[in-house]
Amino acid sequence: MLLNIIGRSFLNQKKSMALMTASIAVGTALVASLITVSLDVAAKVSKELRSFGANILVEPKVEGLADISGHKRYLRSEDIAKLKAIFWRHNIVGIAPFLKSDAVLSAGGKEGGVTLAGAWYEKEIPLPGEAGNFTAGIKTVYSWWEIKGRWPQGKDEIIAGVSAATQYSISPGDSILLDGRRVTVSGTLETGGPEDGWMFMDLAPLQEVKGLDGKVSRVLVSALTTPMDDFAYKDPESMSISEYEKWYCTGYVTSIAKQAEEVFEGSSARPIWQVAATEGKVLEKISLLIYLLCASALAASAIGVSTTMIMSLLRRVEEIALMKALGADRWRIITLFLAEGILIGIAGGLFGYLFSIGVSEYIGLKVFDSGLQQRAVLLPIAIGSAIVISAAGTVLPIRRALSIRPGIILKGAR
Amino acid sequence: MPLITVNSIIKEYETAHALRGVSMEVKKGEWVNIMGASGSGKSTLLNIIGGLDSATSGDVIIDSVNIEKLSEDELAVFRREKIGIIFQQAHLIPYLTAVENVMIAQYFHSMADESEAKEALQRVGLGQRLSHRPSQLSGGEQQRICIARALINSPELLLADEPTGNLDRENTKMILELLKKLHSEDHFTIVLVTHDHFVSTHGDRILTMEDGHIIRDEPVNDLRS
Repeated sequence: MLLNIIGRSFLNQKKSMALMTASIAVGTALVASLITVSLDVAAKVSKELRSFGANILVEPKVEGLADISGHKRYLRSEDIAKLKAIFWRHNIVGIAPFLKSDAVLSAGGKEGGVTLAGAWYEKEIPLPGEAGNFTAGIKTVYSWWEIKGRWPQGKDEIIAGVSAATQYSISPGDSILLDGRRVTVSGTLETGGPEDGWMFMDLAPLQEVKGLDGKVSRVLVSALTTPMDDFAYKDPESMSISEYEKWYCTGYVTSIAKQAEEVFEGSSARPIWQVAATEGKVLEKISLLIYLLCASALAASAIGVSTTMIMSLLRRVEEIALMKALGADRWRIITLFLAEGILIGIAGGLFGYLFSIGVSEYIGLKVFDSGLQQRAVLLPIAIGSAIVISAAGTVLPIRRALSIRPGIILKGAR
Repeated sequence: MPLITVNSIIKEYETAHALRGVSMEVKKGEWVNIMGASGSGKSTLLNIIGGLDSATSGDVIIDSVNIEKLSEDELAVFRREKIGIIFQQAHLIPYLTAVENVMIAQYFHSMADESEAKEALQRVGLGQRLSHRPSQLSGGEQQRICIARALINSPELLLADEPTGNLDRENTKMILELLKKLHSEDHFTIVLVTHDHFVSTHGDRILTMEDGHIIRDEPVNDLRS
């Protein structure tokens, strides 16, 4: 009988029911879309933020008085490819090894000392243990570096940092002497950082000239990471075995740095905190924004349902009064309204979920230039939240309905 | 022992006194009419007896239960177990059929039974109009559905508030004959509010109200004579 009453009631107030369903569908669609976005936003934003540059620095481990004694330590070039074999290898999106040395520069009648860095610009490296290559080098880590002129195309071409170029009056195309060796400046580089005072050349010839074959002084790594939380900041040394496993298998910048350290012999890897911390803060703020938008959407939907249901109640006040006069207790009235609300919630949730697929796809394409992964698990979440919205929206109408005095209403006075 | 005992009922609204210390008794199986001009307090008294409104003070004892002491939910249960109500307007749910409008009272009482509901409509002469909606029925037919709905749960007490107030003389006679027939067959107690003298000549006793007081209590036979 209850279903019969509800079914007929729905048909009798098609407009109100459609309005309530639409209100819930819009709210649910927004919430489901935002959840879809939030589930992917960490990866998407992390990817976007990779243009900030490297977030992990791997350097030779300094032990005891090695540095003071002037004995320089190096990393092995052959270990670089191993970064693509760690647990989080798919998150490693950029690798840039450098060999820093000092050189004497002669150009434009001037001569002086300069930092000379050997680097890969864009180098294909075979993936360890599987077919195919991956690309490493400056361009994979610092895609925003601006070159005036062009990138070097051979071992006799170099790039000059803009400060050094100004100091020695160097322009792209100029021929200069570096440690007595003639090279051509293919371009000048402006980063806004200390690199503006450096000279860059291909890694292999510098290793050869310096007698440091297969050695690099540092490796900068750009990795997609999971935002740092309280757990991530725990000292791994103080963790239990299960905590350590959880930490190791989560893509925190610290755990990826740890894994990088493990593949470079005699190395020390650490996060570049100004980049990693910024990423975490940006993601934290985006997540907060999404939660607030979700809460607002849910509240707006609940208010929409409540308002429409109160309007509907005003039309049905005589009906409710009659039900009470016939002996309907408060639970029967509550059941009636809640059942209506739940059915509207299920319908609204279903439509909202379908609508959210399009909305989240649109957001993904517009904001991140790629679609977002649709998850079927969101369907029960969408319907569940729609039922909650709908049920919340019935609270006020139910209170109104319970306060109806049947004697007065049925006599005609309202 | 009376089925209904009303003791010194007072009903005050913010700006008016509807009942000023009304006391009365109704025996089991009796048909009592309450007459009076508009505003005399007769409908208020009926609403209080039916538990649809509460008194400011006083007691209403029905079948040994003081309904003024009951909570709202207890009153709802009491109403569906003991009382059938007929209103001036039939108050049918417009989107339900005749038989469903009767079944809804069964649903709130215990369990809807379509065959019983159909039988009740046949008793009031609407066996051919079972699946009609209220809008497809005349005022007299709607009021007969209201009577079937009021009696479907076999109440001990039938309260009728101007049940013929919206009907023409022919339909009024038909409804009164129907009530007489059902009353004589089932022996339930009736309290009927009316301002129509013709209606008040049916039943056993007439209470006349004026300005919140019962000013006369006389048998119907005296009035007829």
